[in-house]
Amino acid sequence: MATMSPKERVQKFFKREPVDTMPVFSGMGMVTVQAINKMGIRFAEVHGSADYLAGSATASSDIFGFDAVIVPYDMCTIPEAMGRGCSTYADAEGILYPTVPTKWDKLDSTDINPDWVSKARMPVVEEALKKLIAEGKYAVGGWVLGPFTLGGQVIELDLLLKGIKKEADKVQAFMEKMTRVVIDVAKRYQALGVDYMTIREMGSGTDLLSPRMWKQLIQPYLKEIFAALESPKILHICGGTDLIVEMMNDCGADALSFDQKNTLAETRKKIGNDVILLGNFDPYGTLCQKEASEVPEVIKACIDAGVDAVWPGCDIWPDVKAENVQAWVRTMRELGKQPSPAVGRV
Amino acid sequence: MVAEERRAEILKNLSDGVVEYQEDQVKEYATAAVEEGLDAYDAIMNGLAAGMEIVGDLYDRQEYFVPEILMCADALYAGLDILKPHLKKDTSAAVRGQVVIGTVQGDVHDIGKNLIKMMFDVGGFTVHDLGRDVPLEKFAEEQLRTDSEIVALSAMMTTTMMGMKKVIAMIKEKNPNVAIMLGGAPVTKDVANLFGADGYAESAGNAVQEAIKMIGQLRKLKEEGLPSDR
Repeated sequence: MATMSPKERVQKFFKREPVDTMPVFSGMGMVTVQAINKMGIRFAEVHGSADYLAGSATASSDIFGFDAVIVPYDMCTIPEAMGRGCSTYADAEGILYPTVPTKWDKLDSTDINPDWVSKARMPVVEEALKKLIAEGKYAVGGWVLGPFTLGGQVIELDLLLKGIKKEADKVQAFMEKMTRVVIDVAKRYQALGVDYMTIREMGSGTDLLSPRMWKQLIQPYLKEIFAALESPKILHICGGTDLIVEMMNDCGADALSFDQKNTLAETRKKIGNDVILLGNFDPYGTLCQKEASEVPEVIKACIDAGVDAVWPGCDIWPDVKAENVQAWVRTMRELGKQPSPAVGRV
Repeated sequence: MVAEERRAEILKNLSDGVVEYQEDQVKEYATAAVEEGLDAYDAIMNGLAAGMEIVGDLYDRQEYFVPEILMCADALYAGLDILKPHLKKDTSAAVRGQVVIGTVQGDVHDIGKNLIKMMFDVGGFTVHDLGRDVPLEKFAEEQLRTDSEIVALSAMMTTTMMGMKKVIAMIKEKNPNVAIMLGGAPVTKDVANLFGADGYAESAGNAVQEAIKMIGQLRKLKEEGLPSDR
């Protein structure tokens, strides 16, 4: 059997061409403390340097045998560039991701820096992506938050949620503004040559919004985004998604990704076998809490439910147990030789 | 003394106003309650809180989601602001207690925390709200300073949840009797158990459910009398 390079495997996977085995990768953060430690840096330092970002992504894949690398790791790069600042917790012990310290307090007061795409850490992320793409060792993933989730980073979320009922026009204008930002960034990353692009509208599940509201507030903008982007493009949503699977599938993405709250087998029935399905193990529970011996059954359950590749439901918590990650990769290499519903095997 | 019929009318309008997120209606009837001499605690618990219990049921039935709950909360606070200054100071009806609440360092999302805070406010607790993105040691310091019986921690993201474990260890080491409540999307029963917490809620809506259950217990206590009153 021909053996593919990691990059080739992921590229063919998204074209739905036969692959040798199921690729091990994600559309969300995959950096591990093992890689951070190997580089001799602290987690808080990694986010501000293109070398550290690219180096830690590559080191994580080198150590564990992932097929892809993905940067950045935090959700503040765009809000920071838009003018909302960034808390890096440089002195905090352990792992803390950067956050956005202040938010706009009105829906119509979002005064974005005019040349925000070149501000703050935006050039750092692009430089890291360029390095990884030039290296060519692994497939390179890019990601951008969806407009609602990005909006929640830069404005008080309750303003947005209550505004849906009370100030629909302002909410619409705000969402359009965020949508334009998402498209601009995602297109820039695609122009650099990323191999796949994930739009993470992670805060929009039915834990928060009704399906009816999702259709009104989220779907139109996601449709606009996916229409503007090149393939491969993936839509990921966390939390409750069983009630919005069909609507997600109508947004124009090539693949859908879910977290552990989704009933995958039912989702596969709803979307059929022509859409790439990704998911959905609990990253913290599986890679940090369980015993390594328990990991294969988790991975097998995802495959049995009909995924085309087993993705974690969110960012990997970097402080993984190495043996658990090894068990994840090993199980996928063993079980992944069989074709999946949407992707065949060579 | 308010006639029973009028009392029922005021309570119903307070409750309905919360359920239908009609702030003006709630303000009007909260003001009427004060002016006509209805007991403020009665109006809060059997008007505003009763309405929030219905909101909880609507959330359970997936008729209401978080946006509706937030608007109901605004209506509730509109009434609470008017009624609370009129609570009798020596009331044995209100279950007294103190709670320290906040969102852990690294997390700037606080909708769930604010909803839980609201239910503590309704329940008559003294709430020490530390806000969001709170350094871990601050929770333990504030608990010691205030001698609060409850510490409620919220984290919306997996990436900040780990901070909770440290806070619980810090507090339990100094005062093992403090009840710890965890909340947030990544928090599961297993995580709560593993971290040594006493209760948990996994989403903002779920947090309301949990808090409503608590308020239900408080109302029951009021009806049956506190253990010390018996």
